[in-house]
Amino acid sequence: MSDEYDNNKSYQAQSSEVMDGSAGSINPDIDYVRPAEVGEQDLYHGHSFIEKWIFCQDAKVIGVQYFLTAVFTGIVGLILSWLMRLQLGFPGLAGFMTAEHYYQFVTMHGMIMVVYFLTALFLGGFGNYLIPLMVGARDMVFPYVNMLSFWMFFVAVAVLMASFFVPGGPTGAGWTLYPPQTILEGTPGSGMGILLMLISLSLFVIGFTMGGLNYMITILQARTRGMTLMRMPLTVWGIFTATVLAMLAFPALLVSAIMMTLDKVLQTSFFMPTILKAGEVLEYGGGSPILFQHLFWFFGHPEVYIVALPAFGIVSDLISVHARKNIFGYRMMVWAIVGIGGLSFFVWAHHMYVSGMNPWFGFFFATTTLIIAVPTAMKVYNWILTLWRGNIRINTVMLWCLGFIVTFVNGGITGIFLGNVSVDVPLSDTYFVIAHFHMVMGIAPLMVIMGAVYHWFPLVAGKMLHEGLGKWHFWITFLGAYSIYFPMHYLGFIGVPRRYFEMYDSPYMTSAVGMNEFISIAAFIVGAAQFILVFNIIKTLKTGKKAEKNPWKANSLEWYTSTVPPEHGNFGERLPVVHRWPYDFSVPGAKDDFIPQTTAPSEVIHTEVEKT
Amino acid sequence: MSEQKIDGFELKPGFKGMASDTGSDQTMFKGVHWGKAMMWIFLLSDTFVFSCFLISYMKGRGSTLVDWPNTSEVFSLHVGSVPVPLLLIAIMTFVLITSSGTMALAVKYGYEKNRKMCGWLILATAVGGLTFVGMQVFEWSKLIHEGVRPWGNPFGASQFGSFFFMITGFHGFHVSIGVIFLFIYTYKVFAGHYESKKRGWFTKMKGDYVEIEILGLYWHFVDLVWVFIFAFFYLW
Amino acid sequence: MDETNKMSETAKKEEQTSTQKIGIYLWIWLLLFVLSFFSYMVDWYQFQGMLRWSLILFFMFLKAGLIMAFFMHLFWERYALVNVLLWPMTAIACFIFLMTAEFKYTVFSRLFYFVVGGA
Repeated sequence: MSDEYDNNKSYQAQSSEVMDGSAGSINPDIDYVRPAEVGEQDLYHGHSFIEKWIFCQDAKVIGVQYFLTAVFTGIVGLILSWLMRLQLGFPGLAGFMTAEHYYQFVTMHGMIMVVYFLTALFLGGFGNYLIPLMVGARDMVFPYVNMLSFWMFFVAVAVLMASFFVPGGPTGAGWTLYPPQTILEGTPGSGMGILLMLISLSLFVIGFTMGGLNYMITILQARTRGMTLMRMPLTVWGIFTATVLAMLAFPALLVSAIMMTLDKVLQTSFFMPTILKAGEVLEYGGGSPILFQHLFWFFGHPEVYIVALPAFGIVSDLISVHARKNIFGYRMMVWAIVGIGGLSFFVWAHHMYVSGMNPWFGFFFATTTLIIAVPTAMKVYNWILTLWRGNIRINTVMLWCLGFIVTFVNGGITGIFLGNVSVDVPLSDTYFVIAHFHMVMGIAPLMVIMGAVYHWFPLVAGKMLHEGLGKWHFWITFLGAYSIYFPMHYLGFIGVPRRYFEMYDSPYMTSAVGMNEFISIAAFIVGAAQFILVFNIIKTLKTGKKAEKNPWKANSLEWYTSTVPPEHGNFGERLPVVHRWPYDFSVPGAKDDFIPQTTAPSEVIHTEVEKT
Repeated sequence: MSEQKIDGFELKPGFKGMASDTGSDQTMFKGVHWGKAMMWIFLLSDTFVFSCFLISYMKGRGSTLVDWPNTSEVFSLHVGSVPVPLLLIAIMTFVLITSSGTMALAVKYGYEKNRKMCGWLILATAVGGLTFVGMQVFEWSKLIHEGVRPWGNPFGASQFGSFFFMITGFHGFHVSIGVIFLFIYTYKVFAGHYESKKRGWFTKMKGDYVEIEILGLYWHFVDLVWVFIFAFFYLW
Repeated sequence: MDETNKMSETAKKEEQTSTQKIGIYLWIWLLLFVLSFFSYMVDWYQFQGMLRWSLILFFMFLKAGLIMAFFMHLFWERYALVNVLLWPMTAIACFIFLMTAEFKYTVFSRLFYFVVGGA
């Protein structure tokens, strides 16, 4: 298949070209799709309550399990952020809050939100639910391993939560866990807290590896007939590339966790230099703290894209469906996702400009970092061009998508600032950085998650979420999030440092006090607004109106299951056969404004469908 | 492996084949079993784990100001009263390569449905792996006896012991897991589970001799890692 | 059930994949022993400097390549799989390259500040 679209040729000629594939001989039947390579998947159906709902091997149930567990940790992270904002906006109001507590909350908030909430939600939650449905598979290829993956994640979360209750509390070293201070006395939670954190991270990596293998092999080897890689919804592309990144980046985290555990437990000196404490030389010596930073960010930067790429993919699909228009530049979008993924392994040290690494690295990493802006900007242009002259439906889902684009552009532009060494040095460790990464990988992916929840809820539960509540939820969250993070850019510019428990009487505090109070109040409101969604879901499950099949008139396979919600095995008697990409919206000449992926070419012979 | 046929799809050779395989529907790796593809991707991920270990070792060894111990002397073994450098390591390498060879033959006989031969060769591989682990235990205890600890050693930089125990330990862990599975699959092959299409204990899925190739991939990977550890840790 | 969804008959027949001749495995096996012996000899004869390192690396890559190509069958696999496995190694190569620069700088700064005593 080639990229060119020749307008002069009649459609009939094109479709026969498409259908002959690589077989060499031209098949006269334009609906021909070659037979299945692999036999039907052997599925194990659960027999008891435990096998159906707890140790379940159905990817959809596992997806929901992942989703709920991740949301639980997310709520814990949200409460921690409230406590932090309470201290920053109104110092001393919360009597129990000591500096140690504050650092512990900062650390746990960061780690929970990045790893246990966003990663698990996108890949474990949406990945498990959507991948088999969207590529037309009966289930993940290794259902048993998939089940183990969730329970490994569950244990990791349990270990993480247990660290709140051990003597000394959870670790307070900052989510980056930089040695040597992480495991030295004086840092909160340097005893059991950090140990449990490292164990929990290792368990998470092991559990994720099991899941990730499933996602990758399902997408690569278990697509249905006619489903080429370039006919997959961008959601699948985003989740796929993020999974590849995770499979290659998490090893660095695992290695650094193992080494730090040894430093802690066995007094090895991987990361620990010679340290003087109160005039006494500790038993450590000769280690390299900066090695940890390199390992951590070799994981940490791809991790940013593990969170961002699924969001890119999902939002592309949502925009296309709700603007009733094909995604602009589908192939470009795919290559941008892949390109961002590949580049993300060559930019890690832009997190370390002030770390004291080899000064020549600044040039290399600033260059690679700024190159990433190119595919990212292409994606933003394509989203906007998809909207352009589309038949836009301003429903809740579309609002979240628009909110995402604005927020993402905002956070992305500050990223260009921070990618340059000379600009980064004065801005590092200020609230500017906080504002940047919360915008770009906190709020923006969260908006996509919200949009995705409103979009796919009818599929998962068979009922439509309440639109009015959804719009309240969106507007409070959107305006509130801007009230929180926009002023933080200013705080950063006047030099307010991040991770400080209290600012005392610093000179810039005259203008920062009021702003901190404002940010905190906004944070309380935005956090509380998220419970509108919880309320909406409970209300809908109880009294909501039943959703019709395929309520959004989408094309991708997950809406064409035999039952709604889909049962185990997804597609009933026979698997769907795919003839086109999932973006044939508003095709001139077509009966409806959408053509499902399963529609054969002979049924739409007089329309101007894209050649895919 | 090679020379398969797929209905309605021409398997082109080389990079052209790569393009048409990637652009086709259903599968990207034509004719590759799901489990085998999974093992390859897992090994890729595991390669990153070991690479990170070895890169850390390089960074740690490179940046310490204390002299690195002379591995040739530290790992020498006395035969009579003559110290032979790296003798034990050489034997360990020999054992691991031997077991890798038997595994490769086991895979071959597995595909030829030669149940007996396949079973005996897997058993031989398992015994080889067990021997390797045993010798590693001997090596560890000898070094510990000589005063090498993860946090320090009498020969030089303290990171020597740290990296030694961590990297060989992690490799030994992989070998041990492999040995356990080798014994399990010895039983499965001799019991004829692949002929009778008996379902697995946990996964409830039917097996096939391709599982022997998957096991083989893992085992060869363990050998492959040892090649790098041998070069970088013992010889360098 | 849809007939076309079943595995095609030819694919079923071809499930019994043709295997390689036993001679190849035995040759590679032998070669691995010989190469291991050579790399052991590098230490035995106490070669030093560039000669030692280049010989170690040469034998190492040769052995690794043989294991991957023949024992792990990569030589007979299709390029789609081979490329997927080999391209990620560029990230590792970049990591190695940068860490060599990094440890040299660490040594430099340690000597400069702790031994020389700073500027």
